[in-house]
Amino acid sequence: MRQPAQTPANRRFAYLLLVFATISVFAGMAAISLTRPSGPGLWVGLLIWIASALVGTAILNRRLPTHDPLLFPLVMYLSGWGLVAIQGLAPPFAERQALWLAISVAAMLLTAVFPHLLRWLRVYRYIILGGALLLLLATIVFGRNPSGFEFAPRLWLSLGAVYFQPSEIMKVILVAFMASYLGEQSAVIRADQTEPGLRIPFLPRLAGPMLSMWLLSMVILIWQRDLGTAMLFFIVFILLLYLTTGDFRMLLGGALLVIIAAAVAFHLFDVVKLRVDIWLNPWPEADGRAYQIVQSLMAFSAGGIFGTGVGLGAAGYIPVAHSDFIFAALAEEWGLLGVIGVLSSFAVLALRGLSIGLRHSGRVFPRLLAAGLTLMLVVQALMIMAGVLKLLPLTGVTLPFISYGGSSLLACYIMIGLLLRLSAEAAPIRHAGAL
Amino acid sequence: MSVEAAIFILRLLAALSLIGFLALLFAAVWRSMRQIDQQLAAARTAYGYLTMQSRDRSKPPGTAQRYPLHAITTLGRSASSTIVVNDEFASSIHARIILEADQWWLEDRRSRNGTRLNDAAIEQRTLLADGDVIGIGKICYQLSLDAVSES
Repeated sequence: MRQPAQTPANRRFAYLLLVFATISVFAGMAAISLTRPSGPGLWVGLLIWIASALVGTAILNRRLPTHDPLLFPLVMYLSGWGLVAIQGLAPPFAERQALWLAISVAAMLLTAVFPHLLRWLRVYRYIILGGALLLLLATIVFGRNPSGFEFAPRLWLSLGAVYFQPSEIMKVILVAFMASYLGEQSAVIRADQTEPGLRIPFLPRLAGPMLSMWLLSMVILIWQRDLGTAMLFFIVFILLLYLTTGDFRMLLGGALLVIIAAAVAFHLFDVVKLRVDIWLNPWPEADGRAYQIVQSLMAFSAGGIFGTGVGLGAAGYIPVAHSDFIFAALAEEWGLLGVIGVLSSFAVLALRGLSIGLRHSGRVFPRLLAAGLTLMLVVQALMIMAGVLKLLPLTGVTLPFISYGGSSLLACYIMIGLLLRLSAEAAPIRHAGAL
Repeated sequence: MSVEAAIFILRLLAALSLIGFLALLFAAVWRSMRQIDQQLAAARTAYGYLTMQSRDRSKPPGTAQRYPLHAITTLGRSASSTIVVNDEFASSIHARIILEADQWWLEDRRSRNGTRLNDAAIEQRTLLADGDVIGIGKICYQLSLDAVSES
């Protein structure tokens, strides 16, 4: 079944992509070293990035020769881009980010080559989910915020000097749980659907998990004020249900529940009300509560088509631009060209991830797992990119691979590790006539 | 060389390598899409055909309709079937014909009224031969296989 002939081309191609990525990241770093005061940390960051990319590609080529050659260079490029942007905005954070990048790539490689991981995720799903829920509960009790503000959301657990956000790891675990649950149920769901006149009995099997998932999201929302993550979990869950059943009513029901939740949250929580208010009209409070989003829009307009140039933007005016608003900083320095670059990178990620799922014909768990992981990454990217552009209310999630944030980066790379593993085990694309 | 010139060159370099990266990416996506397309085209090749024989005597005999036979051919009332069966006794997903291990098989897909092969109801997946007649409700399809082309 396997196609050994495909491998050497794969290898060369991954390295070729990395050469272009390295030139781009190097040029960005060099430009920043000329325009902004910066120490040797900048070059250390660049070296860590290059080393992670080379070691990652070499190990993947060796251990998983049939993996998808686009995924890893793609996300490495996005991370390198993020590293350059963070270096320009907040140099102390760039060093930490480079370290987290090395840790994340190591975690990705472990995930990708660990032999029984996929089976364990399926078999021990209740234990794993239970552990993750406990961690999430722990944040409700012991949660901190690294910035130390009194009213900031407390989503982090601290381990000495290292802060860790369990809801990020929850993304991976939840997708694996949903994929294995729905994978197990899919045979029954399909059988119910093919039974003529028996349209009702499949409802409890799906409505049960659907409602409990909605409740879980609401609990995260209410206790943690983590609007973005709650929204993300629920949207991905609805999309997975739709993929399993192929039933359009799932999307309608999901949209209805989201609207109800949004209406309730709007009336109960000031944070949500504020976000919606400044989404509808930020201009009256441009110097006050809407300062961040207004500055972000200014950054987009300042960027124009070709941008102001790396290291020459004034994105420092956006408060904490290195985290959620990094897309605005990129848009200012790289202009429309950079925005199109980021968007097409995520589009290619979506395409490749979903096609990895499609190539697992006949087995439902890997199909849903690949689709779920891809959707989680892409929906999150769309939510924050649309938020920064004032197309949607701000939801306070990170831009995957690019934003500053250790646990976010770690979770994203673990997801890529799982996708790489799934791509290596998928049936290869066959040439015509081989059928 | 002045700093401005150096920064401009670096900027150009970064932009060009971004465009190069994206071009490579799109080329790879294009290539794999082409492969998938060829694969789908191979899956769409007809291996023979099914001729519908209605038991409705009112129609003249020359109007029998022919459907191409694919490696996976689904029969049912639902519009997503390969062959849409317009019969009140057909289920929406009724039966399918598949090519597996160089053999043609008929499977009933848990239909309400069952599928017949040469006028006998089938219990499990059954081997098909050239000239067999598959019955769903009041409609019958006669199978005509092309000469098998060994790959």
